[in-house]
Amino acid sequence: MTRKHIRGPRFFHRRLGLVITWTIIAAPWLHAQQSSPTENEVKSAYLYNFGKFVEWPANAAIVGEFFPICALGDDAFGSTLETTISGESINGKKVLVRRVAKPQDAVSCRILFISSSEQNQLKEILAALDNTSVLTVSDMPQFTRRGGMIQFVVEANKVRFEVNLTSAERAGLTLSSQLLKVAINVKRSAQSGG
Amino acid sequence: MADLTMFRTRDSSITKRLTRMNILVSGAALLISCAAFVAYDLVSFREAMVHNLSIQAQIAGSNSVSALLFDDPRTAEGTLSALKAAPNIVSAGIYTPEGRAFAMYQRDGAGQSLALPPIGSGQIEAHWFKDGQLVLVRRIVFQGKPSGTVFIRSDLQEMSHRLSRYASIAALVLFGSLIAALLVASVFQRAVAEPIVHLAELAGIVSRDKDYSVRATSTGNGDEPDILIHAFNEMLGRIQQHEGALQEVHRELEQRVEARTAQLAAANKALELQNREVERATRLKSRFLASMSHELRTPLNAIVGFSDLLAEGVPGELNPKQKRFVNHIKQGSAHLLQLINDILDLSKIEAGQLELHCEYFHVKDALPEVLSTIRPLAMAKNIEVEHMLEIDRPAYADRVRFKQILYNLLSNAVKFTPPNGRISIACAEDDDFVSIAVTDTGIGIRAEDQTVVFEEFRQVEGGKDSTQEGTGLGLAITKRLVEQQGGKITLVSELGKGSRFSFTLPAGAKTKTSATDAVSATAPQRAAVAAGRKPLVLVVDDEGPARELLASYLDPEYRTAVAESGAEAVRRAQQLQPDAITLDVLMPGSTGFETLAALRKNPETANIPIIVVSIVDQKQVGFALGAADYLIKPIRKSVLLDTIRKHVPYQYDDDTAILLVDDDPKTLELLEETLRSAGYETQSVQSGKRALEVLSSKLVSAVMLDLLMPGMDGFEVIRHIRQHATLKQLPIFVMTGKSLTPEESNLLARDTQALLLKNGSWQQQLLVEVERVIQGHKLAKSAGQS
Repeated sequence: MTRKHIRGPRFFHRRLGLVITWTIIAAPWLHAQQSSPTENEVKSAYLYNFGKFVEWPANAAIVGEFFPICALGDDAFGSTLETTISGESINGKKVLVRRVAKPQDAVSCRILFISSSEQNQLKEILAALDNTSVLTVSDMPQFTRRGGMIQFVVEANKVRFEVNLTSAERAGLTLSSQLLKVAINVKRSAQSGG
Repeated sequence: MADLTMFRTRDSSITKRLTRMNILVSGAALLISCAAFVAYDLVSFREAMVHNLSIQAQIAGSNSVSALLFDDPRTAEGTLSALKAAPNIVSAGIYTPEGRAFAMYQRDGAGQSLALPPIGSGQIEAHWFKDGQLVLVRRIVFQGKPSGTVFIRSDLQEMSHRLSRYASIAALVLFGSLIAALLVASVFQRAVAEPIVHLAELAGIVSRDKDYSVRATSTGNGDEPDILIHAFNEMLGRIQQHEGALQEVHRELEQRVEARTAQLAAANKALELQNREVERATRLKSRFLASMSHELRTPLNAIVGFSDLLAEGVPGELNPKQKRFVNHIKQGSAHLLQLINDILDLSKIEAGQLELHCEYFHVKDALPEVLSTIRPLAMAKNIEVEHMLEIDRPAYADRVRFKQILYNLLSNAVKFTPPNGRISIACAEDDDFVSIAVTDTGIGIRAEDQTVVFEEFRQVEGGKDSTQEGTGLGLAITKRLVEQQGGKITLVSELGKGSRFSFTLPAGAKTKTSATDAVSATAPQRAAVAAGRKPLVLVVDDEGPARELLASYLDPEYRTAVAESGAEAVRRAQQLQPDAITLDVLMPGSTGFETLAALRKNPETANIPIIVVSIVDQKQVGFALGAADYLIKPIRKSVLLDTIRKHVPYQYDDDTAILLVDDDPKTLELLEETLRSAGYETQSVQSGKRALEVLSSKLVSAVMLDLLMPGMDGFEVIRHIRQHATLKQLPIFVMTGKSLTPEESNLLARDTQALLLKNGSWQQQLLVEVERVIQGHKLAKSAGQS
């Protein structure tokens, strides 16, 4: 009885907490902005964060001291991506933002954001990246179903993501259980290869 | 017994002390180690707790990194809820790097978010114990970036459980180890204490029973107690040896003492025998001295006395030649008497028999008695005697001996001082002594003779007057008398100018009252002898000659009245109230018996003693009728008087005689002559018994009593006289040549009025004393009559 009685306020608090958290999480990366981060800003930060929970195979084409994060298609972020993550580093490698025009240019990228504008060329894009170790991320619907690796999903005003683990493994990437833990959906589909 | 109990307590106390020591030591060690262990465990437990909590925080933190990065508090809460597995964790929380609460966990389910405890900016982890809880805060760092903070709060119940568990275990261990320590200690104790206790018990036995044959048993392991035991045994052995030797010596000593005691006893016995012999000899000597003094003096008294009387011409005038001869006899016998007296005195002094009766007296009080005898001698030579005696302090000495000393010196001075000389007596205080000096203007003594004069039989051949008489003992005796009383006698003299003899006697306190004051105060009392008329006797007889005879018998002592018939007797008795009545029986008219009855019946005459004097022998009738006595005619005078005296208390009278009692007729005659020539009446008897008879029948004014008489001696006579109610006040003069013991002197001083020693010119003193007493008596009487 008492528990029911106190549940109300606690629930409210959690809600409040979420709102607060929203603002706070982005804060370090959004130096200039004091208002709550935009969806793009959150997505930019997530792109960067994914790099921390993914392990690339040793034979990966990407070498050197940079950690390139690339964007393909219509630029959804504008300059947001740069302002959010440039200057950061992952595993001692400097994060580098690159815009690519065609999938072949993205072979040396660690993470590739595919804009929704490329929805129709997705099959070709993914095919071009086959046998590479690029982590593909997009906010287009059905992305993971169609063979993409991580898809942003906005759920209750909150940016979440789904994972197609099979695709990632096929690319030789190891996703941290931590990452999987926070994903809202982890797929292991056989048909992802097609 | 006290020693023994002391030993026992000591015995037990060493064991107790050892036990106590063991317990204390092991207990303290255990306690310290237990405490150290518990403390160490607590510290390490705390460290482990912190460590564990740190690990848990790290796990929770790192597991929440993705949730933090991807803003997924639910996942983080899921991660935290895994802490349920650790029941000690009260609450936990994850915070964003900015410090906002991100996810919370609480053991009891409440999902309240908690404020993040502060943590230093440079610190990765911090922890503190507060309110019985351990709080740990740890920063979550991911890829070198601070990603958030985790805090965990844990209670310390486990620790307190552990502590109490430890405490109980420690107590158990302590208890167990103590018991174990005790057990072990008792084993070791036995090894250490037992030999000592054994030793102590043994020492107790030794000191109590003095049994040195016991030995302590060795423990045999050569440790210190064992050494002690060996030493003890050795000591005992030595003591035993010594004891044996000592006992040997003791036994020897005892034997020697016994032998010596026996010797001593024998010697003692011999000594005792000797002593008894000596005592006997001394007694014999004393008796000899006493009898000598008596036997020699008695005849000499007669010689001296009668030659005095002859010389004075009492029996009749002598012609010059006779007078000269008598004077020779007188001088010679006087000299002899003096010699005998001196020899007796000297031998008494030498035999240590001279007893001194020291008392306090003033010299000036004692002087007149001496002067009264010296003055006549001095006056005979026209020598002036002067004295200066005004000192306050009394002398402490024998008064009689003092007088003797002074007399000797004075008579010496008179003897050696030519006619018309001068003798002076001076008295002075000299520290604790009274010093008396006798100075004369006599012939003096040569310097070389001055030391000799005090020796026996040494007379100085002084001057031309070799006719000086003397025994040569006077100064020797004087010197000894002075010295025996603690004084000194000195002589200063110049030939032809005179001599000065001075002697000292111990002085008493200044305030001593004069002894003579008391004596003179008693004199009137003594003189106040019952006085009064002569008793009246009523003579009742019808025959004139018989009445005359009875009256003449009674005459000198009693007044008499006569009655010729019974009726007249009754009448006169009533009228005269006589002291006694003599009653004839055979009378015309009423008989004597009738008269007797009538007198008895009349209350006025009932108490008058009635003596029946008759030819009729009917005593029963007479006594039955109340006669005091019954005499049968013819009667003798003495019988009548004795009988009447029995019933009539007699009183003194002016004209009564002095009763002289001495066994020596010559002395009696001498006394009679001396007293009668001085105008006194005397009656002489030769035994004490006879004296008492006379006293019971006759009034006397005084008794002159010799002490040594066959049969009843003088002391007995005195005792009888003083026991008699009516004779209590009768003056008694004692005249003796006997040497008196102190007891005798005391007795005489108490019961008699004067003591005359037959050793010199007693006659003069006799007259002085008699006159003093009789005159006092008469004065008192006349005072009483007026």
